[in-house]
Amino acid sequence: MSDPMVRFENVTKSYGALTVLDQLNLDIERNEKVSIIGPSGSGKTTVLRMLMTLERINDGVIWVDGEPLTHMDRNGTMVKASERHLRRVRGKIGMVFQHFNLFPHMTALQNCIEAPVSVLGLSRAEAEARAAELLDMVGLGDKKGHFPIQMSGGQKQRVAIARALAMRPKVMLFDEVTSALDPELVGEVLNVIRQLGAEHDLTMLMVTHQMGFAKEFSDRVCFFYGGKIAEQGPPDKLFNDPDNDRTRQFLSAVLEAG
Amino acid sequence: MNEFALGFSVAALFKGVVVTLLVTTGASLVAVALGLAVGLVRVSTLAPLRWLAVAYIEFFRGTSMLVQLYWWFFVLPIFGLSLSPWTVAIVGVGMNVSGYGAELVRAAIQSVDRGQYEASTALNFPRLTMMRRIIVPQAIRGMLPPWGNLLIELLKGTSLIFFITITELTTASKLAADATGNYLLFFAIALFGYYVIARAMITPLVRWLERRFSRGFIREAVA
Repeated sequence: MSDPMVRFENVTKSYGALTVLDQLNLDIERNEKVSIIGPSGSGKTTVLRMLMTLERINDGVIWVDGEPLTHMDRNGTMVKASERHLRRVRGKIGMVFQHFNLFPHMTALQNCIEAPVSVLGLSRAEAEARAAELLDMVGLGDKKGHFPIQMSGGQKQRVAIARALAMRPKVMLFDEVTSALDPELVGEVLNVIRQLGAEHDLTMLMVTHQMGFAKEFSDRVCFFYGGKIAEQGPPDKLFNDPDNDRTRQFLSAVLEAG
Repeated sequence: MNEFALGFSVAALFKGVVVTLLVTTGASLVAVALGLAVGLVRVSTLAPLRWLAVAYIEFFRGTSMLVQLYWWFFVLPIFGLSLSPWTVAIVGVGMNVSGYGAELVRAAIQSVDRGQYEASTALNFPRLTMMRRIIVPQAIRGMLPPWGNLLIELLKGTSLIFFITITELTTASKLAADATGNYLLFFAIALFGYYVIARAMITPLVRWLERRFSRGFIREAVA
């Protein structure tokens, strides 16, 4: 059996005395769609941020596509990854953020071609063709020349998805991507993610509060509590018949809130 | 009032205005170029580079501009480096102001939203490319108003180059006032002269740049 796409091996993250993630072990298989749910402060967003190298880990190793991300091999011993190593392995990962983080001084199209041109070295024409195709795919073919400020939240988030995909990542991370959206705009973003999952070979890891979507879309759901995975399993089992009391309490609280 | 003295004074005054304009333009270019460069080094990830930038800022911002000009002009020749008054005026005033400029560049860069840095990391930008393509273009917008202030300060500061033998607007006004005895007229001209230069050159330039760099930030400025 091949290596998992992503492996967290005894990963610990703390801020001073506060331990956010405690010896996390988690494997994500190729093309697997995994949702992370849990109460605020349970460490779920930190999982994505560590994988995107936005946070340094304090202990353990993160593996991506069979090689260490946070570390590298130097003469047979594992040492902390250099910036160069990080950049090489990080290229396999893309991320979509809660607050979009589009580049405000660039149009939708420019947002999607900037990194392919200046990071991957694509020609402008190639990058533009790729970006145009992706913007079409997310339903924004007619907004190419629009600046982020001229778009709705849902449109911005779809541009952000296209921008991340333009780098051809193997793993896509979605960090509460619908949390900042007006309720009526959530559907258009989730539809794009649904379509991505169905049509592309992508490993997807998402932190979400959309329980309905997590249930329908995921192969596996992980419930985080207090910096650990309190329970994980197929969505049917976890949502309908959870083993853990914490899971049950969390789900009933969330479902009650609507 | 002696007509000869008046005609002579007006000609000298005109020349003074031209000198002030030239030195202001030259020193502004030096100040902006060095201010940007040092400000960027100030936020470098390499600590020794940052320290160099801090030392630069502390020196040029923390000591007197006039004394700095004296050093360039009177002290450096002792060490075998003689600079022309014009070089000292443009580079000396420019470097002094760049110390303040570097700090406002740093502040503007650090005020760019954290999310922009994170998105740049997620898209795997090398740091320098990120600064050049993503962060600095957004930071420029925030640094324009304080640069406008600073360049107006610079304009007025150029009167100090009198002390290194250059006759600029203030000096020319003083000489004209002394020659004609008409202090009211010539100091009024000096007073409004600086205001007119600032208002006619620096303010419109900064406003124009602000509009240009507001693309994507303000709806009206999009097109």
